[in-house]
Amino acid sequence: MNRNIIIIGEHHEGTISPGTLELLDFSRALGSPFPEIILLGSDIFSLAENLAERTGCAVTLINGEHLNLYSAELYQKALLEVLRPRDERTLCIAFSHTSLGFDLAPALAHALQAPCISSVEDIEESSFVRSIFGGKLQSVVTPQNGPVVLTVLPGAFSPDRTPPEKSGHMRIVDVSVAPVSMIPQGERASEYRDSGLHDADVIVSAGRGIGKKENLSLISALASLFPRSALGASRAVCDLGWMEYRHQIGTTGQTVSPKLYIACGISGAIQHTSGMKNAQTIIAINSDPNAAIFSVSHYAIVEDLLSFIPVLMEEYTHPPG
Amino acid sequence: MKILVCIKQVCDSSETLVHDTDPPWVRPSPATVFRMNRFDEFALEEALLIGERFPGTEIHALSVGPSRVCTTIRKALEMGASHGIHLCIEKELYLSGEDTASIIAGYARDKGYDLILTGIMSEDTMHCQVGQYLGALLVLPCITSVISEEISPDDARVVVEREIESGRRQAFLVKMPVVLTIQSGINRPRYPSLSNVLRARSQDLETCEAEHLGSPAFRQKIAAIRYPDAGKKGTFIQGDSRQKARELLSILHEKSLLSWR
Ligand SMILES: Cc1cc2nc3c(=O)[nH]c(=O)nc-3n(C[C@H](O)[C@H](O)[C@H](O)COP(=O)(O)OP(=O)(O)OC[C@H]3O[C@@H](n4cnc5c(N)ncnc54)[C@H](O)[C@@H]3O)c2cc1C
Ligand SMILES: Nc1ncnc2c1ncn2[C@@H]1O[C@H](COP(=O)(O)O)[C@@H](O)[C@H]1O
Repeated sequence: MNRNIIIIGEHHEGTISPGTLELLDFSRALGSPFPEIILLGSDIFSLAENLAERTGCAVTLINGEHLNLYSAELYQKALLEVLRPRDERTLCIAFSHTSLGFDLAPALAHALQAPCISSVEDIEESSFVRSIFGGKLQSVVTPQNGPVVLTVLPGAFSPDRTPPEKSGHMRIVDVSVAPVSMIPQGERASEYRDSGLHDADVIVSAGRGIGKKENLSLISALASLFPRSALGASRAVCDLGWMEYRHQIGTTGQTVSPKLYIACGISGAIQHTSGMKNAQTIIAINSDPNAAIFSVSHYAIVEDLLSFIPVLMEEYTHPPG
Repeated sequence: MKILVCIKQVCDSSETLVHDTDPPWVRPSPATVFRMNRFDEFALEEALLIGERFPGTEIHALSVGPSRVCTTIRKALEMGASHGIHLCIEKELYLSGEDTASIIAGYARDKGYDLILTGIMSEDTMHCQVGQYLGALLVLPCITSVISEEISPDDARVVVEREIESGRRQAFLVKMPVVLTIQSGINRPRYPSLSNVLRARSQDLETCEAEHLGSPAFRQKIAAIRYPDAGKKGTFIQGDSRQKARELLSILHEKSLLSWR
């Protein structure tokens, strides 16, 4: 099947984002190994050229002086200048499910009168698989005929690509869009300094399941068993003020890959697991046997952490025999 | 100022849901407990904080769903919303982000809201779409993942920061009316106060039939609902809690992750 697939690429500080390369694998799975890639930016010619070389895909660079700073308004206008004329042939426009992808996709779908399906993890014939209810269930969604706008979950497809036989073609479309209703005021780094998470061999993380702030002492006690350990947290725990945001792990926090990660009372939302799933060994303690965290864990312990951690500590300090 | 906050009722645990096949979706059972979508608690709290800064602000809390969602609208009144709106759909049915937004837009279109707030995502369907669609349908700017806002009501300017990957932030200047989708952590949602609980008890909700408010396009449908593949799961450590603790310790020793005391 020859489907016309368009990928919206992302780049950050002069490099193409891994999610963009994953979209190529997604496109291959849909039957089109060489989709068209659209990049937006200001004077990023060599980046676009290089992408066409590396992937063998046709790259369209939408170039505009204001496109160096992202805004939904600018990017949507710029994309529609390129996308509108060819709705007929396009089967799918795919973004990564990032802060740019989920921001833009619905409005773009609306403008193209296309359905919008977000955080797609897999393809099944002409339907798309996505998690619902925090990953406890999956839905298979079938769009109406015609183009569909998708956001694809980062990490669901592979960023690896065999080098192509020949380089793809790169073309430049100059646009003169300028901010009107949404004026970008710049970007700044996270306020939260690293909390030793990256140097740690072992990270013990707390989720909302610890119940209250006072129970953090259990998590610290568990962490103290390991020499080079640090404390992590889910976003929920930081939002509740139980731990500082610098401990937060996940898409909007830190990405870590320690030797051992112990998740205590964390449900396993994709935004959390994307920040820790590359840990060498993952242990999860959760009272719910169906918690999504267990699907990324090597060892699953279905227990109430409030009673289990004390038992574990006891067994460690006073081993039998 | 007039603020609309969109709140969704979600089930506390999907375990209690019953699977339907025609059409495929999930339906609550008598055991299902409902609550407000957590991200919407932050959106509502932000509206209440804006209301405290600008006296005279009206805060309307709106939810789309069957009659069960009225308990969550009432919860919003208890937290301090001034007016509750129920856009009623008859049955438990799946709505895409676009479908939900077109119902809300049908209601909100001519109401003169200065701000429309939603959560960033609903915990059940996890679309991350409704706010963005509201912006598109009502032709208003929409900023997603908002983690701070500063309003100057005199010239209707709002400076917002949105949180992106790794905690980085992008700032924008927009003019009201605007749609903001609120990220968790922007504030600490409050508990209802006794006076608001009492006030909410006697307050009527405004009800509109969703079908009179615009026709969802229904551009997608659910073909199946299922449990994720259990094959990918790791080892479940068995036994009573003491046996599990011993087993876990011996795994940690074997892997040299822990030394014997
Ligand atoms: C754009 C966006 C970005 C996000 N970024 C991040 C991010 O970077 N990091 C992040 O973590 N989240 C992030 N989130 C939020 C994420 O979606 C979840 O809401 C969050 O991770 C949930 O935290 P939790 O697992 O601690 O809480 P919950 O989901 O409430 O889970 C609590 C768990 O504890 C278990 N439990 C309860 N009691 C016990 C007990 N006594 N013993 C054992 N287990 C128990 C429960 O079974 C449940 O599984 C983001 C969301 C969005 C929309
Ligand atoms: N049925 C609903 N009623 C009211 N608001 C909703 C409804 N569904 C979604 N929303 C709002 O839209 C936000 C994003 O939801 P979603 O796009 O479904 O992830 C939620 O946080 C709510 O604020």
